[in-house]
Amino acid sequence: MSTPRKSLFNFNLDYVSMFKWCIVASVVLTVSFITLFFTKGLNYGVDFRGGAEVQVRFTEVVNVTDLRTSMEAANVPISSVQSIGDEEKEVLLKVQSEGSEGDLNAASTMVGTVLSEKYGAGKFEILKNDIVGPKAGAQLRNAGFQAMAWALLAIMIYLALRFDVKYAPGAIVALIHDVTFIIGMFILTQKEFSLQIVAALLAVIGYSVNDTVVIYDRVREIEQANPNEDMNKIINRAVNETMSRTILTAGTVFIVCAVMWLMGGGVIQDFFFALTIGTVIGAYSTVFIASPITILFDRLGRKKAAEQAASGKAKAI
Amino acid sequence: MARNWWIRFSVLAVIITVALLAIVPSVTNSDPKKWVISKKVNLGLDLQGGLYMVLGIDFNKVYRDEILVSVKKAQTYLQQEALPVTLGDLDVSDPRDPKQTLIIEGDVEKTTAKLNEYFGYSMRLVGDEGNKVTYGLSRDYLREMETTAVTRSIEVIRNRIDEFGVTEPEINSQGQDRIVVQLPGVRDIDRAKDLIGRTAKLEFRFVNDQLPESQLQAWVDKAKAAGIVYEKGQRFSDYMEKLNTFLKTDLPAGFLIYFEKQTSKVTNEITLMTPYLLEAVSPLGGDALQEATVRIDQQQNRPYVAIDFKSEGAKIFEEITGKNVGRRMAIVLDGNVYSAPVIQGQISGGSAQITLGFGDYNNLLTEARDLALVLRAGALPVELEFQEQRVVGPSLGADSIERAQIAAAIGSVFVFLFTIFYYRVSGVIACVTILVNVLLGFACLVALEATLTLPGIAGIALTVGMAVDGNIIIYERIKEEINKGVPPREAVAMGFDKAFWTILDANLTTALAGLCLLNFGTGPVRGFAVTLLIGLASTVYTSYFVTKLMFDWYVSKRQTISI
Repeated sequence: MSTPRKSLFNFNLDYVSMFKWCIVASVVLTVSFITLFFTKGLNYGVDFRGGAEVQVRFTEVVNVTDLRTSMEAANVPISSVQSIGDEEKEVLLKVQSEGSEGDLNAASTMVGTVLSEKYGAGKFEILKNDIVGPKAGAQLRNAGFQAMAWALLAIMIYLALRFDVKYAPGAIVALIHDVTFIIGMFILTQKEFSLQIVAALLAVIGYSVNDTVVIYDRVREIEQANPNEDMNKIINRAVNETMSRTILTAGTVFIVCAVMWLMGGGVIQDFFFALTIGTVIGAYSTVFIASPITILFDRLGRKKAAEQAASGKAKAI
Repeated sequence: MARNWWIRFSVLAVIITVALLAIVPSVTNSDPKKWVISKKVNLGLDLQGGLYMVLGIDFNKVYRDEILVSVKKAQTYLQQEALPVTLGDLDVSDPRDPKQTLIIEGDVEKTTAKLNEYFGYSMRLVGDEGNKVTYGLSRDYLREMETTAVTRSIEVIRNRIDEFGVTEPEINSQGQDRIVVQLPGVRDIDRAKDLIGRTAKLEFRFVNDQLPESQLQAWVDKAKAAGIVYEKGQRFSDYMEKLNTFLKTDLPAGFLIYFEKQTSKVTNEITLMTPYLLEAVSPLGGDALQEATVRIDQQQNRPYVAIDFKSEGAKIFEEITGKNVGRRMAIVLDGNVYSAPVIQGQISGGSAQITLGFGDYNNLLTEARDLALVLRAGALPVELEFQEQRVVGPSLGADSIERAQIAAAIGSVFVFLFTIFYYRVSGVIACVTILVNVLLGFACLVALEATLTLPGIAGIALTVGMAVDGNIIIYERIKEEINKGVPPREAVAMGFDKAFWTILDANLTTALAGLCLLNFGTGPVRGFAVTLLIGLASTVYTSYFVTKLMFDWYVSKRQTISI
């Protein structure tokens, strides 16, 4: 084999012509997700909401309704009892979130007492007990939001320095788009939004910008070789030339994330649910969100340059 | 092959060998002491079970108390100087900077001058309206109070944790007003909370100065020879009891050995223990103490600690100081010696001064503050509030590890198959690169003594997915060049050249997000950031250098390449 096989993914498509429709679709989705955020809202986990959670594993299959009744009978302020895992031997008890840290602590202790009275010691094991006071919850929410804001800012500055100012806004809008989309999926599925999910969002931000950088890198290279070429054509060429890489990388990351999502279990599961969506949406947003915005800013830049040149000429006359 | 290639190959071989040696104890889960590199990866609380607590310090209350106490003292002082003042409003509109107003009843100018002199560096004048003057705590004083309160609290908590017998406790400050306590293996949250929150026991004990320190050290060494040593994870009081029982026949009757512990600020381990021979009976307990504050000696401009006893305590103190002039009296907190000042003369009236050694003014000031904090009742310098507690049972971690490992392995196998199917021989090279990548990443984790958490395992899995990206970028470049008609060997060189900056840029931007996460994260989430960052670094290294090494060898053997 003297020449390598042609890339499977060299479609040579006119991506720029698809931008309109994609932008419309993304704007509609983003707006509806933001609306959902304010109407339906996220199902915040104990980390952000504050409250207490006790995860228990029993030696035998346990009746959830029964358990709830005995908790209520003992006046434990339980807000939900749900079975988790496949074997119905594990139960997650949530304590109502109102009340101080001391109340939550007392309630968690009561859960333990009721369990040993009802099932006897040795018949169950407390796997996890989380108590997050209202202050800590607020602090964690705040820290999570700040971390994301800093990450976006740092990436924006980096892109502006390493590439050109016109590249930064597109990448940032694409990242905000990704984050909105994943949060939207968490609202729709009402999966619990916890600390780990914030970590996953940051990972998506990191991964998605990775994609964007590879395409921008190519755009810059083509632009330097052909300075007078139309930005539309440059971007089309860059996207086409990097398409096989985009699909392959997204493919490998997607495989890992999907496997971990479906098989990882526990905390890992929701974490990789976010990442799996993130891989797909990240690849999409790089091509269809970051690029058109870059074209827009390129035009603005050129227009300004042209105006300046024109006014300079006028003065000279 | 070129000589240059062999050099690069040898370097890589050495790196891989060291990395393998580093991970063997963790992977085989055996006693690390049996191996060349005796380090094992630290498992996070979510994986090995344990207790995680966040304690908050309510500084607003601390400030309020501090300003009230200072102002009341100033009032008493001015009373003695025949310059009466009454207390006005306490303005807490900014809770982090409360301000107290004083109403001057006599000569305004003279009183203000006296007040400024009395307060010295600790207060600042913020308002001055006729006979009303308003003071706030000085900025430096506020900042100093914050740092000493946090560091002292951490020290006190650590001492009590030593009583718990935990192998690797971690007690750190987070932000300005929070302390994170992590106790691997501990599940009894109530006992831990009780231990951290309770009031410390303060005692005064006389020092036996007849015996030289070398004699004390000899006894400690004797016990050491008999196998009585303090080991990490042991209760400190157990050690002291064993030691004193063992030395019972050697020690003068009625005396026991106590220690002054010094904890390294870097490793958090006990670095130095100075033995003291103290009287077994304490003549005076901490409950006799009314107040302990830092004062500055105006003549010599030296800080000292002023202590006031309650009336009952004052009487005992007068008596014992009268009988023991010239002897040292140790201040013992929770069984640890903090300081052993010399009694200069009989002290009556219930007020005493503890002067400190000579040295830098700022060091002395910090020392004085620390001592005052130790002496104050309650011992924990500030009230701590339990903001967050998480207990993880040991079996949850074991399950999680197993499931995550299986999933990560299956995911990796899929990635390998996909890569080999698509890139053939070059795909195999990519897979070897990834394996080296994961190996180096894990070795870094061990070397840096970083903590592996469940999200950390997720980070490693993610690295596998993302690491192929480096190879893909290079391969696609090489393909492009070959398609342009460039001969394989040059195509490979050009592909690597052009791809390097792309790989670096792409990984650096991801690292920016990782750094933000590291800064935000606590516990498990931090573990994810750590493995992600390590993974990114080893990706840049392996996907460029390791892949290039293998490719150079590959193209030297063949005229065509399978890519």
